[in-house]
Amino acid sequence: MPNIRYANMCHWKAIPYRQIDNFREFYYEDKTNSAYYSDWDTILKYQSALGFHGIEIAPWDLADILPLFGSPENFTAFAKDRGVEVIGMFHGAHASHAADHFDEAVRSGREAVDTIVRFGGQYMNTCPTQNYCGTGPLSREQVQQCAKVMNEIGRYATDHGVKLGLHNEFFCAINIENHRELIESTDPKLVHYCIDTAQIAIMGEDLLTFYNDYHDRISTFHLKDTGSARQPDSVRYARDPEIADDGTRWFWEPGLGELDLAGLYRLLKQHAFKGWMSIEYDGSPDLLASMALTRYHLDSVLRPIYD
Amino acid sequence: MNSDQISISLDLINRHYQEPNRNRFESRYFWEELYSLISASGFRAIEIPYEPVWQFGGRSGVPMNRYCVETKYESADGYRAALAERGIDRVAGVMFDPNLFMRNDNLDFFFGASGHFAGEAVAHAAALGADYIAISPSPYYGRAAHYHPDLEAKSAGFTERVTDALRGLADKAASSGVTLVLRNDYWSLFRGERILPLLDALPAGVKLDVDTASLTIAGVDPAAFIAAHKSRIGCVHLTDTSFVDTNETWKTPNPEFPEHRATQVFRDPGTGGVDIPGIVALLGRQAYDGPVVFSARQTRDPFRALLRIRTLLDQLLN
Repeated sequence: MPNIRYANMCHWKAIPYRQIDNFREFYYEDKTNSAYYSDWDTILKYQSALGFHGIEIAPWDLADILPLFGSPENFTAFAKDRGVEVIGMFHGAHASHAADHFDEAVRSGREAVDTIVRFGGQYMNTCPTQNYCGTGPLSREQVQQCAKVMNEIGRYATDHGVKLGLHNEFFCAINIENHRELIESTDPKLVHYCIDTAQIAIMGEDLLTFYNDYHDRISTFHLKDTGSARQPDSVRYARDPEIADDGTRWFWEPGLGELDLAGLYRLLKQHAFKGWMSIEYDGSPDLLASMALTRYHLDSVLRPIYD
Repeated sequence: MNSDQISISLDLINRHYQEPNRNRFESRYFWEELYSLISASGFRAIEIPYEPVWQFGGRSGVPMNRYCVETKYESADGYRAALAERGIDRVAGVMFDPNLFMRNDNLDFFFGASGHFAGEAVAHAAALGADYIAISPSPYYGRAAHYHPDLEAKSAGFTERVTDALRGLADKAASSGVTLVLRNDYWSLFRGERILPLLDALPAGVKLDVDTASLTIAGVDPAAFIAAHKSRIGCVHLTDTSFVDTNETWKTPNPEFPEHRATQVFRDPGTGGVDIPGIVALLGRQAYDGPVVFSARQTRDPFRALLRIRTLLDQLLN
C-alpha cells in the first residue's frame, strides 16, 4: 500500500445517467463528446484508469445522485465495482460564526456526517463559515463561535469514524487574519485540517511554512496549483471573488502554477504523511485532460519524491 | 404571428449538463459575448430561466436571478443597459420551475422555498420589463415521488397547495404588470391537458404557456391544443423533440434523461419531429400576437443551435 492514495474532488457537472447502455447509438445522435461525459459508469472508469481510486463528492450533487442511484449505498457499490471508493464529502458550515445559528450549524454538520457514513466515507472537509463579503471582519467572539461549532461537529464526526478537516477558501470570513486563530481554538483530537494548497496560498499563507507548522493536524489535502498567491484584500473580500469576470483562473493543475509542490512532497516525506489526497480541478475547462495532466505530473515529478 | 414578438430562451446555455466545465458558463465574459452573438443571429429579445441556485454561492456572471444581476450590474436597469449595448432590446419573459426545492420529504420546505423564489422570479420579471412569467406548477413527478412515495394519495392536497400558491403569484404578477402563464411540462403532475383544471381555478388573467415538445411527448397534438384553447394562450414555446415516451420516462426522477435508453429528449428546433412550420402558420391564421419563444433546451452545441434556429426562422418568415 502506498503512503498516499489519490482521489478526485468531484467537479464534474451534474451527471444525468448511471450507465449508458446504448453508448454507440447515443453518440450518433449528435456526434459530439456529450456521451463521454454523461454517465457515472464512464466517469468512474476515467478515474480508475488514471489511478484515482477515491472520489470526494460535493453536497450540491446529492440532489441528482440520490434519485439517480436511490441511496448513498447504491452509489458506493456502483463506484466500488469500477475500482473507486467514496472517501468523503465537502461541507459548508454556513453562518457558524453566528451564536444564534449554533443549533442549525451543528444539526446540518451532523446530517452531513450521517450522509458521509452512508457513502462509506471517512473525511468531511468543512468550510467554517461563508464569504467575507457581507460577513467579515469577524470579531474574536465570532471566531470562537466558529471553533465551538467545529468542535461540536468534530466530536460527532469522530464518534462516527469520520475526520472533520477545516477547509478554508481564500474569500471566506475566516481569512488570513484569523485563520490560525480558528485552528488553534479547536480541539486537535476532534478537528483536523484539510490543506487546499491553492486556497491557502491565495489567502496569504506560505504553503510549506503552514504545513510544517500544522503537519500533525493534517487529515488530507486538496491538491491544486495556483499562479495567484497572496491576493490583496480587495480580491479576497470582494462580493463575487470566485468566478472572475474576465475568466481569470485561480486554480491550475499541479505543475502549471507557481506553488512549490515538490517542496511540499519533501515535507510530506519528512513528516511521513500517510492517507488520501484529493486532486481538485475547479476552474479547468476540461476535467479529463486535467486528470491526465495531473497523473503525469504526479508520476514524473511528485511521487518519485515521496509516495 | 408577430415576428417582433419572437425571442430566444437562454436555456440554450445549461451549466448543469453541457460540457464538463463548471466555470465558463458562469463567467460574465461568456454571457456578455453571448448577448452579442444572439444579436448577431438576429434576435433582439431573450427569455431568462430563473435559477435561484446561483444565489446560494454568491457568485457568477449568470443573469439567472435578481441577486446575480444586481451583483454584476447593480440593478435590472443596469443589466438592460448592458443588453442594449450588445443589441438586445428587451427581456421578453422569465421562466421558473421549482425542481431545485424538491429535495426531501418536507412539503412545507418545498412550498415555502419554491413560493419564495417564484415570488422573486415575478419581481425579477417586472424589474426587467418582461411581458410574462412562465411558471412550472409542479416539480418533476418522479423526483416528487422519490421523496414522497405516497404522492398519488397526496395529489389532491398537493394540487390545493399549488393552487393557493399560484393565486398569490397571480396577484403579484398582475399588480406588477406581468402576465402569469402556466407551463405544461411533460414531466409534471399537471402535464398535457391536466393543466386545464388548474388554470380554471385561477384568475382569468392567468394564461397557458404552450410548449410544443412537451405537449407532443405527453401525447397531445400541439396544433389541436392551440386550436382548442386559443383564447387562453399567453405564451408559446417552440420546442422540438423526436422522443416517444414508451416507458413512462415522465415519471422518473430525471425525466429529461431517460433511464436505460440515453437520448436527447429536446432537439434543437427544426431537427426533431414537431411540425413547427405548421404551428407557426396556425398561430398566424389565428392572428396570435403574444410572445413566441424559441428554446433549444438540452442542446449539445448552443452556438450551432442559435444558428439553426435562425435558419429555421428565416425559412418560416419567408
